[in-house]
Amino acid sequence: MPKISIDEVKKLAKLSRLEFSQEELQKFTSDFEGILNYVDLINKVNTQNVDLKEKAIDAEEDLRADIITKSLSQDEIIANAPLSEDGAFVVPTTVEEGGQ
Amino acid sequence: MDYLNKSLFEIKELLESGKISSVELTKMCLEQIKHTQNINALISVCEDFALKTAKRVDEDRKNGKKLGALAGIPIVIKDNINLKGTKTTCASKFLENFVSPYTATCAQKLIDADAVIIGKANMDEFAMGSSNENSAFGAALNPKNTMCVPGGSSGGSAASVSAYQCFGALGTDTGGSIREPASFCGVVGLKPTYGRVSRYGVVAFASSLDQVGTLTRSVKDSAIMLEVISGQDKNDMTSSAEKVPNFSNIKSDIKGLKIGIAKEFFNENLNEEVKKSLDDAISFYKKNGAELVDISLPSLDKALAVYYIISSAEAASNLARFDGVRYGVRAQKFSDINDLYFKSRSQGFGGEVKRRIMLGNYVLSSGYFDAFYRKAKKAQKVLKQEFSAAFSKCDVIISPTTANVAFKIGEKSSDPLSMYLTDIFTVPINIVGVPAMSIPCGKNKDGLPIGMQLIAKQWNEEMLFRFGEIFEKNHKEAKNV
Repeated sequence: MPKISIDEVKKLAKLSRLEFSQEELQKFTSDFEGILNYVDLINKVNTQNVDLKEKAIDAEEDLRADIITKSLSQDEIIANAPLSEDGAFVVPTTVEEGGQ
Repeated sequence: MDYLNKSLFEIKELLESGKISSVELTKMCLEQIKHTQNINALISVCEDFALKTAKRVDEDRKNGKKLGALAGIPIVIKDNINLKGTKTTCASKFLENFVSPYTATCAQKLIDADAVIIGKANMDEFAMGSSNENSAFGAALNPKNTMCVPGGSSGGSAASVSAYQCFGALGTDTGGSIREPASFCGVVGLKPTYGRVSRYGVVAFASSLDQVGTLTRSVKDSAIMLEVISGQDKNDMTSSAEKVPNFSNIKSDIKGLKIGIAKEFFNENLNEEVKKSLDDAISFYKKNGAELVDISLPSLDKALAVYYIISSAEAASNLARFDGVRYGVRAQKFSDINDLYFKSRSQGFGGEVKRRIMLGNYVLSSGYFDAFYRKAKKAQKVLKQEFSAAFSKCDVIISPTTANVAFKIGEKSSDPLSMYLTDIFTVPINIVGVPAMSIPCGKNKDGLPIGMQLIAKQWNEEMLFRFGEIFEKNHKEAKNV
């Protein structure tokens, strides 16, 4: 049975770029443990002779030619941005002045 | 209700013969939408767009122009399908202001067939859920009993069709999200073969399992709609070049065809009334000349575990793009760029979506990848082999769509696992990639609909329509829902 600690859940939350309150973390950890115990069922499937080394979909040979076509305009793309300026997305400073 | 309660193919004839105009019909549907607002089936109503389209179709018809297969017919699409100039929210707070800059291929195909897109349906946030309770805009209710859930994630689509707001709807189905709500609301729900319908412009949940399909009030309606939305699309490399048959020309004879029954679908968890309805349906098919064959799907009960690993892994990857920078909602207060991601995502996503992202990142993280993700992919292959062996003995497999009828609102919302278990019979179909359809086959003592699931081989939707329509036309319970 897989076990999961609250610290592991915290680490996962960080990887997922999600924040939880202490109370949410508690509930989450217990729900998570239940789900993990359930999905442990996959170990009851005998997969000894299964080879995954083949392509996942048949369509892989149907790649289209790499031709430039008209796509959305800059204005159309930027229209949904929460914050933009002069046709660019605005983000907080990511590289300090004089930094790398 | 003289017009609203018609099925799509009936209203198509009435429109063609001039008994009613599309503008009149569209206005009736808009009126019905207002009248049944309490079920919260739609997130937005496209009133102006619908009336403009209806008017154009009426004029074209008057001028003798050749019209498409859905000319003038009001249709609803799920709110994870982009339609240029309309909001596409995926029922998420994250996208509450998102306006589609382009149109999904499946929606474009409806437009090209002269359909009148009248609204965008409520759903579980990002299509994750089985009850429609995970919507940021409030749960949709089951029109058959408003104390009950309509199912999910395409709950709004099913409720809208069931409440006569439209004549058909598009939904998406990743693990049962069309078939389960269809079953709960007493309508026909079709998940086509993976690759049959383009996913371009449909917001991705689990890309290797997602498929667009239909919710309708008859089997024939489903066939007509599938014919319109199917086909290869250069913008979706997983859409198939497989020929699109003339689905709406349904063969009526099932004599000599084989119907597979797997004991694994009829386990002890199956509700007695559901079981009885299924037994009735099976004897109906036998009486009408189908041959019953016992088949075995030994790994069926593991499919849900396989599903939660694969679908969550893909969801975690697909939803990584929601960063509060390029589109969607951005948190008001944050300290730096990383904090912007953390805050925007934590405020924008609902609880179930967060849970799936976390589970997905867990099964993909180093140390667990082989034990969970790779193992699940291998188990998926075993399931495919088992279905393939079963289909060498039969033309169609019959099962219940769900083990029970629609449950009460709030009944399962605090226990994620019990909610997941609702999909135990529908999930294997997505894992295997074959087509399946839920058809009303009776009601329980409280009047709630019961659905049966028909499953066919890859690219063999015709078989579903064939078995579905003969039942719908001749079985008393099918008409009684």
